[in-house]
Amino acid sequence: MNKMIKLKINDLEVEVEDGTLLIEAAKKAGVEIPHFCYHPKLKPDANCRMCIVEIEKARKLQTSCSTPVTEGMVVKTNSPEVKEAQFGVMEFLLGNHPLDCPECDQGGECQLQDFAHENSPMTSRFVEEKRVFEKEYFGPLIEKEMNRCVSCLRCVRYCDEVVGSNALGSMQRGNMHEIGAFAHQELECEYCGGCIQICPVGALTSRLSMYDYRTWQLKKTETICNYCGDGCLLTLEGVKDDITRVSSEMGAGRNGGDLCARGFFGYGMINHAERLSRPTVRTKGRDLQVTWDWAADKTASGLNEIKAKYGPQAIGGVISAHCTNEEIYLFQKLMRQTIGTSHIDSSARLGHINAVSGLVKAFGTTRMVRYEDILQADVLLVFAGELTESNPITAIKVKEAVRQNKAKLIAVDSYSAGRETYISHLPNLATHHLEIRPGTEGTAILGLLKAVAEGSHQTSLSQTARDKFKESLSSVSYDNIEAVTGISEKTFREMGTLYAGAQRGVLIFGRAITRCEEGYQNVLKLADLAIAAGQAGQPGKGLLSLTKENNEYGAVEMGGASEYLPGLQPVGAEQKGHTLVEMIDAAARGEIKALYLVGENPFRSLPQKKVEEALSNLELLICQDLFPSEVSALAHIILPAASYAEKSGHFTNLEGEVQKVRKAIEPVGNSKPDWEIFSLLERKLEAELGDPSQSQKLEAPSVDVVWREIVTTLPAAWPNLSEEKIVAKMTAYIENGLRSYVVPERAREKEEGVFDLSMSQVLFHAGRMSTYAPGLTTLLEKAVVLIHPDDAEDLEIQEGEEIELKAGGNGSGVTVPVKFSKKLSVGSLLFPEHFGLEMQALLPLTVDPITGVPYGDRGRVTLAKVSAPVS
Amino acid sequence: MQTYEPILLKNMSRPGYVGSLEDYRGVGGYAMLEKVLKEMSPSDLIDIVKKSGLRGRGGAGFSTGMKWSFIPKDHTGPRYLCCNADESEPGTFKDRQLIERDPHQMLEGIGIACFAIGAHQAYIYIRGEFDLGAEIIQNAIREAYDAKLFGKDLFGTDFDIDVVLHRGAGAYICGEETALLESIEGKRGKPRTKPPFPAIHGLYQEPTVVNNVETLANLPYILKNGPEWYAGIGTQKSTGTRIFSVSGHVKRPGNYEVPLGITLREMIYEIAGGVREDKELKAIIPGGASAPFLKPEHLDARMDFESIAEVGSMLGSGGVTVMDVDTCMVWAAMNLMEFFHHESCGKCTPCREGSAWILQVLRRIEGGLGKPEDIDLLVSLCERIEGKTVCAFGEAEIGPILSTIKNFREEYETHIAEKRCPYRPDAALAIAH
Repeated sequence: MNKMIKLKINDLEVEVEDGTLLIEAAKKAGVEIPHFCYHPKLKPDANCRMCIVEIEKARKLQTSCSTPVTEGMVVKTNSPEVKEAQFGVMEFLLGNHPLDCPECDQGGECQLQDFAHENSPMTSRFVEEKRVFEKEYFGPLIEKEMNRCVSCLRCVRYCDEVVGSNALGSMQRGNMHEIGAFAHQELECEYCGGCIQICPVGALTSRLSMYDYRTWQLKKTETICNYCGDGCLLTLEGVKDDITRVSSEMGAGRNGGDLCARGFFGYGMINHAERLSRPTVRTKGRDLQVTWDWAADKTASGLNEIKAKYGPQAIGGVISAHCTNEEIYLFQKLMRQTIGTSHIDSSARLGHINAVSGLVKAFGTTRMVRYEDILQADVLLVFAGELTESNPITAIKVKEAVRQNKAKLIAVDSYSAGRETYISHLPNLATHHLEIRPGTEGTAILGLLKAVAEGSHQTSLSQTARDKFKESLSSVSYDNIEAVTGISEKTFREMGTLYAGAQRGVLIFGRAITRCEEGYQNVLKLADLAIAAGQAGQPGKGLLSLTKENNEYGAVEMGGASEYLPGLQPVGAEQKGHTLVEMIDAAARGEIKALYLVGENPFRSLPQKKVEEALSNLELLICQDLFPSEVSALAHIILPAASYAEKSGHFTNLEGEVQKVRKAIEPVGNSKPDWEIFSLLERKLEAELGDPSQSQKLEAPSVDVVWREIVTTLPAAWPNLSEEKIVAKMTAYIENGLRSYVVPERAREKEEGVFDLSMSQVLFHAGRMSTYAPGLTTLLEKAVVLIHPDDAEDLEIQEGEEIELKAGGNGSGVTVPVKFSKKLSVGSLLFPEHFGLEMQALLPLTVDPITGVPYGDRGRVTLAKVSAPVS
Repeated sequence: MQTYEPILLKNMSRPGYVGSLEDYRGVGGYAMLEKVLKEMSPSDLIDIVKKSGLRGRGGAGFSTGMKWSFIPKDHTGPRYLCCNADESEPGTFKDRQLIERDPHQMLEGIGIACFAIGAHQAYIYIRGEFDLGAEIIQNAIREAYDAKLFGKDLFGTDFDIDVVLHRGAGAYICGEETALLESIEGKRGKPRTKPPFPAIHGLYQEPTVVNNVETLANLPYILKNGPEWYAGIGTQKSTGTRIFSVSGHVKRPGNYEVPLGITLREMIYEIAGGVREDKELKAIIPGGASAPFLKPEHLDARMDFESIAEVGSMLGSGGVTVMDVDTCMVWAAMNLMEFFHHESCGKCTPCREGSAWILQVLRRIEGGLGKPEDIDLLVSLCERIEGKTVCAFGEAEIGPILSTIKNFREEYETHIAEKRCPYRPDAALAIAH
C-alpha cells in the first residue's frame, strides 16, 4: 500500500493514497468535479478542460484529472475563477452542439446534459452559424453524429488503450476535428461496443436500437452473459419484455465493464421470432401444440414406459452447458435419482472435461488462476491462438498484462502474426510467438518441458522429482521435436528459461489443447510443465482452461458428466454411465431407447449420418431447446425453454467464479426456464410412481431453494481448495511413477494441394445461438473459409470465389466462398464452426480413449476452384 | 549606425561559402565538437553554457544550460536530443537561412548538445514545407557521417551520436515541443499535458531535450570564444546575438543578426531602412505572430526578453512584422486568427472552439456586421481561453486580439459604428466569399 497523502478540497480534509488523481480524491471527499474526457479506465488526456480547479500556489488553474495529489495541497473546486472557467468550457462545447436532445438516444444519460444543468448559463452568446458535419456510420452497427461530439477522445483512447484495436483516430483540426476510421474507411474492428459505452454524449450510438427507447423507459437487469466462459456482467435493458440494449457498468463484474461484440450486440436472439414458444407433442407425424401440463404428462409417462419396458439404463440425457448450475444439478438429479439411469452428460464433454480430468488429477482442483493473476503475471504462456476471438475479455486481461504491465507473452499456436484488420490477434500481441505446425501442441509442450527439466532454475520441486522428469525426457530429442513442430532447440530453451524464471507465471490453454486430439494427455503434459517450472501451487501461478460455453465449468461441477457426481465426486468405474458419444452409439445399437436432449444438438459435434441414424432409432426423443434444430425435427416431444434473460440462477465462469444470473424479462412465448421444466417433470414422474403427494405441489420450488440445496449438499471442498492441499496433491501426482513421453514420428511432409483444415470460433459468434442475433449476423452472416493469400495466389483464387473442399480426394465435397487472411499459417484453412454442418463430414472423428471427448475439429483436405457460374 | 559583428550569419556572408562540410571545416568547424568529446565532461559543458547566459531562441527564451541540467543524471535508459527545425511562425524565417546556408554549424551544435545530456540519438524535426532545407540537411548529415563526425566512437572516444532527419507533415502545432515529440513517435501531432516535462518523460517517454536550430548553432562559438565573451554581448540577462526576421512595411526586409538589447527604433529605422514609402508607423509585432502588437510609442523599447515583456509583448521567435498607417488592425487580427484557427490542433476545448468563434466574430466586425457588444465578447472569449489550454497555443492566438483591442480599440469601434472597414472598402464582399 502506498503512503497516504493529506490534502484539503473545499476546506474538507481528505486522505488518499499517494498517486491518486485529484479528481478521484475529490470524489472521495464527496465533491464531484464535472468532466468529459476523464475516465478511470483511461490514462488522463486533459483535453476537455472541464475539470479545471484552483490549486493554492499554482500559477494557473489546473486540470484535476491529470494532477496527482501532493501533501498539503489546498484545492478549490468551486471558486469564482473555477466556475467561470467551467462556464467557459460549457459555452464553447454548447456553441456548436445541435441541442437535439429530444431525438438523441443518449438523452437522459448524457454528461453534457447533466453538467450543462449545473454549469451553464441559460442563454448563449453564440449567434454564429453552427458548424455541421454530415451524419456518418461506422459500419453497420454504429452511428456517428459528430455534431454532438465533445472531442473528448474517450472512444479513441478506449479503442487503443483497452481493446488495443486502434480502429479509431482523430482527423482534421480545430473545430473541424472529428473521430473516424483511417481515411474514412469502413470500420473493420472488433465491434465491442466500447466506444458507444464510453461516449459521454450521443456522438456514438448503436444503430441496432436506434430510436427504440428513451433511456428512462428502460428496465435494467444485471445478469451474466451466456455466450462464452468469460462470465461478463451485463445489464440487459428492455422496454417491457423486449431487450433493446445491453450495457455493462464501468468497473463492475469480472469484466470490469468491458464487453465484446457478442455481449454488446448479440442480445437479439432473446426476443427472436423463431424461438420455440409452445410445448409440442408429435404423434404420427403430426405436431400437436399442447399445454405444459399435457406435455409434462406425456413426457413423464413416456419415460416411465421405457423404464418399465427396458429398465432405467435405456434412458439417457444430455444437457447444454448454457444452462444454469441449478438446472444442470436438477437435470442430473432427475436422471440419476428419479429415473435411475447413469447415462448423463453435458456439452462440457466436447472439451472442457479434458481440462477438468487432467487438472483434478494433477492438482485436485481446477480453480487456480483468476483474472487478477493474469494482470499480475510477469510471464504468460498461452496455448490458444484464437484467444482474442474465443474469449475476448480474458484477452483484454492478457492485453492489459502485456501492454500496461509489461508481462512477457509466449504464444504457442499454429497461427501466423500479421496485422490486416483492426481485430486483435494473439500472435500480434505476443512478445514471443512460437508458430508450430498444426496439431503439434503436444510435442511443443514436450519441447518446453525438456527445456525446463534440464534448466537450472530454482523450484521447490524435490531433486527426485526433477531427476524423474529428466529421466523420462531423456529419450526425447530436440531434433525430433523440431522436425515435428518446426521450432528450434534454442527457442525452446529460451522460452523454458523465461517461463520457469517467472515470478508469477500463468499458463492459459484453449481449444487447441482441450478440443483436439490427445487432449487429455496434453492437459497432463501442461500440468507437468507448470509443476516442473515451479509455476503451480503458489498464489498467482497455475493453469487456466478457457471454456467455450458460459457454464461448462459449472456443468461438470454440478454433475453434468457421466464420471462426476455434483462437487466433482467421482463415479465408481462400474457405475459410470455413457458419455455423449457412447449414448449415440448405444442408441444406434438399440440399447438406449429414450434420449432427453436439453439444448444440446449432437448433430453439431458428431457425424450427422450417425446421429440421425441413432436418433431415428429411438422410441422417445425429447428436445428441450430455444430454437428449432435438427433434433427438434426428429423429436417426439418438443419443450420450449427460456433463455438466460428469462430466468434466475448461477453460472460459473472459466475462472470458477460463481455468478448470479437474474431474470430480466418474462419467458418469451409459452416457454419455461429449464429448471422449472425439470421440477415439473420430477413431480409428474414421482406422482406416476405412486407418490400422490407430489401431484399436489403445483408450484415449482423457487430457484433459491435449489441453490441452497446445492450449496449445502456439495462436499466442503467445493468450490475452493487450499494451497496446501493443491501442493500435497501435486506432489503425490508427480511422485506417482515415471511418465512416458513419446514424440510422434516425423510429422507428415507437406503434400502438394493438401491443406490443414480446422474449425474455430470467430469473434462475432458463439455456437449456434449467436446466429439468431441480428447484430451479429450483420457482422458475419454466412460461412466463409479463410485461406492465406499466398496459398490463394498459388491456386489463382480470388477473394469471394467459391472453392470445393474434399477429404482424401474423393467423396462429395463442400463448396464455400473464400476470404483471405494473413493471420493463418500458409497451408492451413479455417472454417467458422457456427455455420453449415456439411464441413464436419470432411473431418475425421476420433474419440479420446480416457475422457471420451470427440475430436473432430481438424483434418486434411484438398481444395479445388469452382468455375464461376455463368450469370 | 553602429556596426555589429554577426556570429551565426558570418560564415555564409563570406564570398563563395556554400555551407559544405569542406567550407565549414575551412573556418574551423567541428573543432569544438572534437574538443568537447575528447577533453570535457558533460557537467563542465553545461556549466559553460549556463555561464554564457544562452537562452532558447525558439520562443520561450528559457536558459539552455538549465534545460540540459534537468535531464536526470542517474537515468540508465536512452536520452534524446531533438532539434526543433519546425519553423512555422508567420513572419519568422531565420532558421531556414541557418539550415539552408550553413547546416554544419547546427549539426556541430547538435553533437555538442548530445554530449552535454548524454544522448546518443538526435532527431532533427524539420518543417514539412522545407523541401530544400531537408535535402541540404540530409546531404550535410551524409557528409558528416562520411567524415566520421557522427556515428560510432567519435574522435577516438567511445561516444556515439546518430542523427536522423524527420520531416513534418504540415502542422504548425508540431513546433510545440511535446507535439513535436508525438509527431516523431509517429502519432498525430498534439501537445501533451505538462507536467511531466520532456526532460523527464520526453520522446518515447525517455528524458529528452528539445532545442531550436539557432540555439544549437550558437554552441560552437560559445565554446570557442568562452562563455564570458558571449555573456559580454547583449544585455545582462539576454546575452548574445539574435537573428530577427524583419518583414512587413519596411524598406529592407530580411534576417538581421544583432546583439540583444538594441531598440526597436534602431531595428526598424536603421537596420531595416525605415517604413516603406516613408509612411507613418502604426504597429509592430516584435516576436512572431503570437506576440502582442506594439505601438510607435514603444519604439524605444529594447529588444531583449525582459524589456519587450515590460511593454506587454514578447520576443518570441524573433519575427518582427512592421505595419504602416494604412493597415487595418481588425483585418490584421483577423488575418492572424485565420491562421491560428486553421492550425488549432483541436485537442482541447477552449482553443478548438474558441479560435473558430473568435474568427467568426472578427469576420463579422471586419465585414461591417459587428455589434458594439462584440468587442467585449472578444475580450471575454479570449479570457476563457487564456491559461486554460493544454499548450501555449492558447495564449498565442489571443495575443493579437487582446493587444489590438487594447492598443487600437477605436478602430474596432469605427468598424462597428460605420458598418464597414475604413481601410478595405471591399472587405465585406471579400469575407462573404
